[in-house]
Amino acid sequence: MSNKPKKSAAVIKEQRAAYIFLIPAFLGLSLITYIPLLAAFGIGFTDLKVGHFMPNTPLAPPRFVGLDNFVNIFKNPSINFQNSIWVTVYFALFAVVSSVIYSLFIAMLLNRKMPGRGFFRSIFYIPYILPAAAVIISWHFLLIYDGGVINHVLVQLGFERSFFLDSKSTVIPTLVLIAVWQCGNLIVIFLAGLQNVPRVYQEAAEIDGASAWRRFWTITIPCMTPIIFYNVLMSLVANLQIVVPALARTRGGPGKATMFMTYMMYQEGFRGGQLGTASAIAAVFFIIAAILAFILFKTSKSWIFYEGGEQK
Amino acid sequence: MKRILAIVLSAVMILAVLAACGNDSASPSGSGATATPAGNNNTAGDSTSSGGGERIEIVFSIWGDPAEQETTQKGLDVYNSMQDKVYVKALQIPNEEYADVLQTMATAGNMPDCGMVNEPTAIGWARQGLLMPIDIYEGQADKPLDYLAFKDGGKTVAYSGANEVLGLWYNRTMFDAAGVDYPPTSLDKAWTWDEFIEVAKQLTFDSNGNTPNDDGFDKNNIVQYGAYVNQWTWQLEVWALSNGGKWFSEDGKSIVFDDAAIEAMQKVVDLHLVHNVAPFNPGTTDSGFGDSVGAGNVAMCTEGQWATGFAGDTDIDYGVAVLPYMKRKANIVTGGPVGVFAGTKYPDEVADFVRWYTDEDNNFGTIEAGWWMPTKMNWYTDEALLKKWIDDVPLRARLPADAYRTAMKDVALDLTVSQSTGWYYTPNTFEIINRVLNPAMVEAINGSKTVAQVIADVRPAMEAALAG
Amino acid sequence: MTGENYRKSGMLFSGSVRSMKRNKKIADITAFIIIICMSVIVLLPIWWMIRSSLMKSLDIFMRPPPFFPPDWLWSNYNIPPTTFNYFRYLMNTLSIVVPCVVFGTVTAVPCAYAFARLKFKGKNFIFSLCVGSMLLPTMVTLIPLYIVWSNLGFVDTYWPLILPYLCGGGAFNIFLLRQFIMTVPKELDEAAKIDGAGYLRTLVSIIVPSIKSAIIVVALLIFMTTWNDLLQQMVYIHTPKNYTLVLGLTIFFGTFKTDYAGVFAATVLSFIPGVLVYLFGQRYFVEGIVMTGMKN
Repeated sequence: MSNKPKKSAAVIKEQRAAYIFLIPAFLGLSLITYIPLLAAFGIGFTDLKVGHFMPNTPLAPPRFVGLDNFVNIFKNPSINFQNSIWVTVYFALFAVVSSVIYSLFIAMLLNRKMPGRGFFRSIFYIPYILPAAAVIISWHFLLIYDGGVINHVLVQLGFERSFFLDSKSTVIPTLVLIAVWQCGNLIVIFLAGLQNVPRVYQEAAEIDGASAWRRFWTITIPCMTPIIFYNVLMSLVANLQIVVPALARTRGGPGKATMFMTYMMYQEGFRGGQLGTASAIAAVFFIIAAILAFILFKTSKSWIFYEGGEQK
Repeated sequence: MKRILAIVLSAVMILAVLAACGNDSASPSGSGATATPAGNNNTAGDSTSSGGGERIEIVFSIWGDPAEQETTQKGLDVYNSMQDKVYVKALQIPNEEYADVLQTMATAGNMPDCGMVNEPTAIGWARQGLLMPIDIYEGQADKPLDYLAFKDGGKTVAYSGANEVLGLWYNRTMFDAAGVDYPPTSLDKAWTWDEFIEVAKQLTFDSNGNTPNDDGFDKNNIVQYGAYVNQWTWQLEVWALSNGGKWFSEDGKSIVFDDAAIEAMQKVVDLHLVHNVAPFNPGTTDSGFGDSVGAGNVAMCTEGQWATGFAGDTDIDYGVAVLPYMKRKANIVTGGPVGVFAGTKYPDEVADFVRWYTDEDNNFGTIEAGWWMPTKMNWYTDEALLKKWIDDVPLRARLPADAYRTAMKDVALDLTVSQSTGWYYTPNTFEIINRVLNPAMVEAINGSKTVAQVIADVRPAMEAALAG
Repeated sequence: MTGENYRKSGMLFSGSVRSMKRNKKIADITAFIIIICMSVIVLLPIWWMIRSSLMKSLDIFMRPPPFFPPDWLWSNYNIPPTTFNYFRYLMNTLSIVVPCVVFGTVTAVPCAYAFARLKFKGKNFIFSLCVGSMLLPTMVTLIPLYIVWSNLGFVDTYWPLILPYLCGGGAFNIFLLRQFIMTVPKELDEAAKIDGAGYLRTLVSIIVPSIKSAIIVVALLIFMTTWNDLLQQMVYIHTPKNYTLVLGLTIFFGTFKTDYAGVFAATVLSFIPGVLVYLFGQRYFVEGIVMTGMKN
């Protein structure tokens, strides 16, 4: 990384500036994320329960249990965490790919000149700002098998009704649809990114007679790669944490199809008071998220084009 | 510009450092064993107690919508004004997140002194030491009905603040229009399951006015359904009992789900799948009455006594009847308990308050609004009291009162019929019913599996959940 | 990179300008039609909320579902302040959100700049720490943090919700800004350096104007995350008069019944400020200033 072997005064000055710039944000991160995080991970090796915080609890004092919690979450059929990992990763990858493609497409369209552009831009943004609970209720009424407007229209058009959220095979695609509908933040980020695509390149290419398709692939996409990368990562992290639809509507079902990792953590930690188990789940969640992020970062070097020229 | 930015930046840094110092001094935090009784962070700044100085404040946590909260607050106001030793402050927490918020508060020794408890978590909380094992009715003349006591190993940990039995609610207008007799309102005339299905068929219509008994019935275009059996999972237990089966062993120590229980649950699911008399209802949200009879498109639904309370919100003319039965007449009772949380510094004062608050005379607003039935025996036997909460309450009088007396009150009193729901004596029912069984049942409800297959799938998980 | 080639090819003229313009027009019209169709689909659930907010709560379950309310019950919007005190909750929400947005944005920019442009020891390690902190649900740190804040006596105040944003406001924003700074041509910084500008001046006079749209986006993202952060608000705010909008919405879910019309009416009311803020912010990406190409 450091391709300047000797430490000049300028290098020292640069370092000092960097550290000063980093301080405010890192104070926050370390105190609000890292320290509580270490505490949380530590708990994963104990059998700590909410009851341990109560005076006169009948529970035996919390013990260090080594890896027991980590074994238990996979072996205990009422947790069955391997299922949670699978359904979460399946949902997250499906949702990331769909939302990133959809939001880039919509952002490209919204970046063109058209009447009422500001109005349309806000329409695509509104789903993102709705409170999660209201979103899932509204979709519930649209999608319900008996009396939902979408199934009503399907029947009128002569199609079979769909169970949407109430069948194992359709629940994940339906939740992906809702996630895609809600990704107004990605659209906004892409729109902002498109403003930074240097217009001279576009103009030069246009004058060269490059087709729109070619311009898209040779100019827009390369210039947007850092932003695409960010949106993929952000969407991945957000979708891995999916929990509200399961809490408010599907309750982890049908079957075990929406027993997402965060939902299980919530159930164990906040509903069952099993802080040790919940922390073990958190640790495994972190490892899985880190693996996916690591893969993303490793591959990113080959496809991200930084205008500034500096690769990480 | 540069200067302003520099000033802002340095201000931020100073603030950050200050926050940091605060954090550091207190951050042994959750790292393991430290049980922090932490003391009173309950002082919320605006306690109206003021003046008196010695007056102690106790926090009472509740959930509920504005109407319920207003009723509760009125009760607390009365209590606060009738004595000057204790000031009771209500802490409102949304129902869905109630258990989570209280548990988070517990980790910081911040729990309220007393409050409502979600039924399925009551025994688990007692076992973890969140609830104090108390019997506030020790030595009292009038006690709640015995099935309303949450018991763990014989010890009462909480009493339901209300009593609720299940009933069959029906839309009179729809019965009149179809020329069908109203459902029976007394136990001795209760319909069998098959009679129930037959009547439901006569009340189910597609958009051409055909019933499932007619040729050309279009099950994809049903505009009115005959029956809606609440499939919010815990309510299915009543059908297992009705068919002579069981979910839990009587000591609450093992999972049963015998063949009779499975057969009964299949019969319920078949109302939609086979007979086409019920709308699809995944049972993952608690919307029974509101989603059916209350919405004006279902003729009959099963729901708890609380459905009485909807009459104020709807123009639908509905009545109450007794549940149909399979092999034996059965009913289950429930009711959110009011518990005393461990860690309260004033157990005696809190017990006094809870005893006062659970007294029917003092929470009569909720009984009057149709949501609750009384919990104490004398309210079911003393004619003057019966008149007070049934005949003189307009919401019940319109059902009408004599039907309510036989279909609700008599059922609640008949101990050969009514019994506690599993969570009064089985630990971890939240995990067993809500977390494991509820999502799994959706697959039986949508017809992709039989109930027997579903139960076989989840039995190990239910057993593991019961073991904790 | 291909972009480089186009830059060098500069003003080479080829192809028919007229056909290009015609094609562009067709493309514009197609884009417009697609956007209209997509808007209709996107609006459906929103319309469903609005129309449900104008119905009686139990009518929302009607079969078949009416597309328009049978009666337009505007009175549903007349929610008594004892139930849902809109203006009070709005002010409460803003008193959390505004400091978060201001401080979160201001502290994230220099940090992002350091990651994007400056060389320093341990950069990779610190950056991985930063990215790593994004990978965790807030739920994980909720209990340890609650214990800390409650021991500091901050429960039932807004501090636990605001203080985290006084210092960086989360790695996501830092990372987003870093990505944007990386799309700014480095020549611009170097030119400033040659002019004798220090790091702070380069940041303020070169980088910040170039990524103005991204800064607005970060502000919008912080705005919405803090606006809708039900989980944390619920844990920390207990007194009804301190409620925020999303917390206020939970009141409509009762033990025995849910006032769906009320939920939807209050939801519609509470997303309006978000739309206004967005409309205010979005002109910055319409007018996004492209700094590139000043050289050559």
